[in-house]
Formats: sequence, C-alpha cells, structure tokens
Amino acid sequence: MFRKILIANRGEIALRVIRAAREMGVETVAVHSTADTDAMHVRMADESVCIGPPPGTDSYLSMASILSACEITGAEAIHPGYGFLSENANFVQAVEDHGIKFIGPSAEHIRMMGDKITAKETAKRLGIPCVPGSEGGVADVETARAIGEEFGYPVIVKATAGGGGRGMKLARSAADIDTAFRAARTEAKAAFGNDEVYIEKYLGKPRHIEVQVFGDGKGRAVHLGERDCSLQRRHQKVFEEAPGPSISPETRTEIGMICANAVAALGYEGAGTIEFLYENGEFYFIEMNTRLQVEHPVTEAVFGVDLVREQIRVAAGLPMSFQQDDLRVNGHAIEVRINAEKLPNFSPCPGRISQYHAPGGLGVRMDSALYDGYRIPPYYDSLIAKLIVHGRDRPEALARLHRALGELIVDGIDTTLPLFAKLLQAEAVTSGDYTIHWLEGWLAETYGV
Amino acid sequence: MADETHEKDVAFIKAMAELLRDNDLTELHVKREYGESDWLNVRVARQLPSAPMMMQPPMASAPAAPATTAAPAPAPEASGDPSQAPGAVTSPMVGTIYLQAEPGTPAFVSVGDKVKEGQTLLIIEAMKTMNQIPAPRDGTVKRILVEDAAPVEFGAPLMIIE
Repeated sequence: MFRKILIANRGEIALRVIRAAREMGVETVAVHSTADTDAMHVRMADESVCIGPPPGTDSYLSMASILSACEITGAEAIHPGYGFLSENANFVQAVEDHGIKFIGPSAEHIRMMGDKITAKETAKRLGIPCVPGSEGGVADVETARAIGEEFGYPVIVKATAGGGGRGMKLARSAADIDTAFRAARTEAKAAFGNDEVYIEKYLGKPRHIEVQVFGDGKGRAVHLGERDCSLQRRHQKVFEEAPGPSISPETRTEIGMICANAVAALGYEGAGTIEFLYENGEFYFIEMNTRLQVEHPVTEAVFGVDLVREQIRVAAGLPMSFQQDDLRVNGHAIEVRINAEKLPNFSPCPGRISQYHAPGGLGVRMDSALYDGYRIPPYYDSLIAKLIVHGRDRPEALARLHRALGELIVDGIDTTLPLFAKLLQAEAVTSGDYTIHWLEGWLAETYGV
Repeated sequence: MADETHEKDVAFIKAMAELLRDNDLTELHVKREYGESDWLNVRVARQLPSAPMMMQPPMASAPAAPATTAAPAPAPEASGDPSQAPGAVTSPMVGTIYLQAEPGTPAFVSVGDKVKEGQTLLIIEAMKTMNQIPAPRDGTVKRILVEDAAPVEFGAPLMIIE
C-alpha cells in the first residue's frame, strides 16, 4: 500500500479522497492555489503544498507544479479526482514517466475514450450498443445529408473532441442539416481546436442511464449497477439516483454484464462509467468517463462499497474487495447537487458562508468542503455540496431527502438549495417518470426562465 | 506548509525592522497580496533617537496567519509616505532550493551582496530542471530566508532584496 498519496484536486472530491486514504492509514498531500489556502481539503490533509496563483491553468491544471509537489513531498501516487487533469492522457504519461503511480486507468484507455469517435468504435467492437449514426467523422455536407436520409431525422451533429454536452447541433429535418453541420464544425473548431464532427440519430425522449464499472487492471471487472441522471440543466446533472427507476433487475444484469465484460476485455484499471441514452427499452452508448464521477456516492450507498478505497487498492496492486456475486442492490439512494448559484438564472454566486449546518441522521450523507466563514473563491466550479440519502426503497429515500433538505443551512450566499424542495413536489420526480428534457421544461414553468 | 506561514511572516517583519534600523528610516509599510484571502499588511515605525544610545526598534504587531491584517505601530512624526517595500522575492514555482550552482561551489549571493536586476539569486529545481531565479531589481541582499536543499511552494518568500 502507498505510504503517501497526493490529491491533484480541490473541494469536496479532494476531501473525499483524503477521507478514504486516512481510513487506510495512507498519508495525504493536498495541493492548492493561493485562493484555496484556507480550504477544507488543505486543513484536512497531512501536508499541503501551494502550487500556484488562483487560475486553474496555473495551479490545478499545472502538470509541472503538481509533479514538483510530488517530488518535494515524496508522494508515491496521485489521485486526480474528477475534472482538472483526471482524464488528461498526457498527464498520466508524465506521472508514469516520473515513476509515480496514477490512481486510475492507463493513458491509452483515457485516450481511447477521450476521442468520441474512437470511443464509439471501441464500444461497438466490445459489443456495447450504440446510437445509430455515421461511421467515424463526417467530412462534408453531402455525406451529412446522406446520413440524415439513411437514419431518419432528427439527427444531431456532434464534435468528436467535445464532451460534457458541448459542441452539439440538432437538425430536425433535411432542411436543417446543412446549417447544423456547418455550425457544428465552426463551433467545434472554436471550442476544442478540432472541427471533426460525427452524426447520430437524435433520440426524442431518452433517459440518461449510466453504468458504474470497476476493473482491477488485470483483466477482471465488475459492474455496480446503473444510475439515472436524466435530471439535467444544460447538460449538467442536478439530481441523480440509483437504482434507475425505469430499470428492472434483469435489464440491470444484462447491460451491466455487457459493460463489465467490455471493460474486463480492455484490461481496464479503476473506476469508470459508461453513459447511455435509454429509450423504449434500448440502450445507446454516448460516452465512457475514465474516472470517478461526481455522483458515485449513490452507487456506494446502494452497494455498500467505498469506490475511492477500491481505486487506491487496485492502484497499489491489491485485488478488488468484491466480486460480481457480492454486489447486490440494497435500497435506493438519491443525490442532489448544491451549487453556489442564484436562482432562477443560476448565475454564479461566490462569497462568504455565514452559516453552514449539515443535516444528519439515518441514511444521510453530506459531501462538502464548506464550513462557517469559508469564502468560496470565484475561480472554480460552482458545486459546493452534495447531499446524498439512502432508504430501503425509493419512497423512503424521497422522504428522507425532503427531511434532510429541511435541516440543511447554507447562508451568506445564494445557492440552488431552494430548487430541491420544489422539485420534490413535482409528480414526475415522485413517480420517477422523467426524461433528459424534463427538468429544463419544469424550470421554465416554475421559474419562468 | 500553511502552518509555516506564520514563522515566515515573523521572519519577514524582523527583516523589515532591521531595514528600518540599518537605514535610519522611521517608517516602513509593506502590503503584499499572495492570493484572494491571503495578504500581508505590515507597518513598522519608530521614533528617530535624539541620542544614538537610545535606539529602540518597535515592531508592528504580527498579522494573524494567514488571512488578516496587522494593526499599525504608534506613528512617529517623521517621514511621510509609507513605501511599498520591494523587499521580498517569492518563489514562482514548487521545487527544491539550491543556493549554489553545484555542490561545492560558492553560493550565488550572500547577505550584504549588492545584486543587479536579472542576476541569479538561487536555483529552484523542479522535476529535474534547474530554474535560475533572477533578482527582480537592483539592490542589496538583506536576508536569505531559505536553506540549501529546502523544499518550497509557490509564493514562499526566498530573500529580501532592498
């Protein structure tokens, strides 16, 4: 087991990793920008190193600074968290070149899944169902038109270098394809420096269902069921739950095993998530995230596992603590993401927390780096807390969420907290009958934006 | 390393007090921003002695580490404008300090040396690359705040050059 690891991240996920490491007796090094000197992850870690000024590019994204910090502290491994450098294949390469262990998959696997076209080809090759669409990139508008004809409208033009919901243009009919194609290419070039696009059939009322997988890097892998993350605003998840309300145990096993076998065949190491659109009982692969996800706690709750602990274990060459037969769904879990944003426009709202009080009690988990008096810096992501509840079934989880929301206090700044009490009153949420478009429609109705 | 900030602050203030004394100044004011909630605001001041024997360098109170500001010392009547002390040279990167070019060779600079802008003060090694850290201005090396082979983080004070 590692003696000391460095966490190349900040906020709640840095805390998450520190907690797992501490339980394992592994020493932790926090890195931070000058804006985060008073951050909770810095206070909690055994050591900390200031790696740069506030901007991400000069600090949390600075490979040189992070590697240097490893050198001067003697950290043997780096946990990248999510975001920042967690899916940067060049970083993984640099880390390995310096004789430090990267806690996560190989540079090769990250690269494979980072390019959306290669990812789709790989998925197809491994037997994962995909959205019908172009084979590879679409170079010209004539091909685009032909594809629209073949698969039927509506279709969506996507940037291969895109992700996180960016770089996509919808063409509802043949009349739109030319504009959508050209616009997508221009935007892709501007946003990602790469104008290559591909085209997929657009699904009208899908759910976003993602499967958690985990590999030991030696050819063994398991699935840990699915999460339904359909409630999104501008492609950002707001509310996630496990198990998916629309997924039967048989469906879970079927898609889960396809994913687990695919990941095992790759010899994949660590945590990963395979994301799908699910419509009319069919799964359609969108992308694979080669890292831990924000919403991993709902899976942890339902399967009784510590995924970060497992990541550190397999990175240290130990086997996974579980096998597929050990993993059984137990109850239901829901997570809500609380952002430092002012409703109804979701405008960012950094500032000083005058009072923070976390909810407690049975089945309640709060993952947050907040504390009384903490000043949220304006330079980073607006996610400030995740509230996760677990119950014996979905109705109990919903009731527990409602109760916990009533106890949670985050004062001094505006947050999206008030959203959730309202959301819990919506019939679609209580019934679990929603799709990826539902939340934006409800927000428009409820807040008039 | 956040816990060493207090010690560094105290070392810095002591250096300022020396500067005050050695240059017969009555007041020195330094305001330095390291980050969004991390700044240093210190004023050291004293009465000019009528007889040389009665020198007494008062110190301004130390800032609470690392976020808040100091209270100013009792203000003397003399010299007006608080100057921004250009004093501290801070580390632009994470790495290891070397005070000389190679083991066994003399240090780049010593306390008391006069340096020119751009002159190498020390080396910071980061990931097997040696980075020469230049003096940001002409001046005299008043304090060397780091030891040879010490690890430093971004923003760590290295030397006082006045």
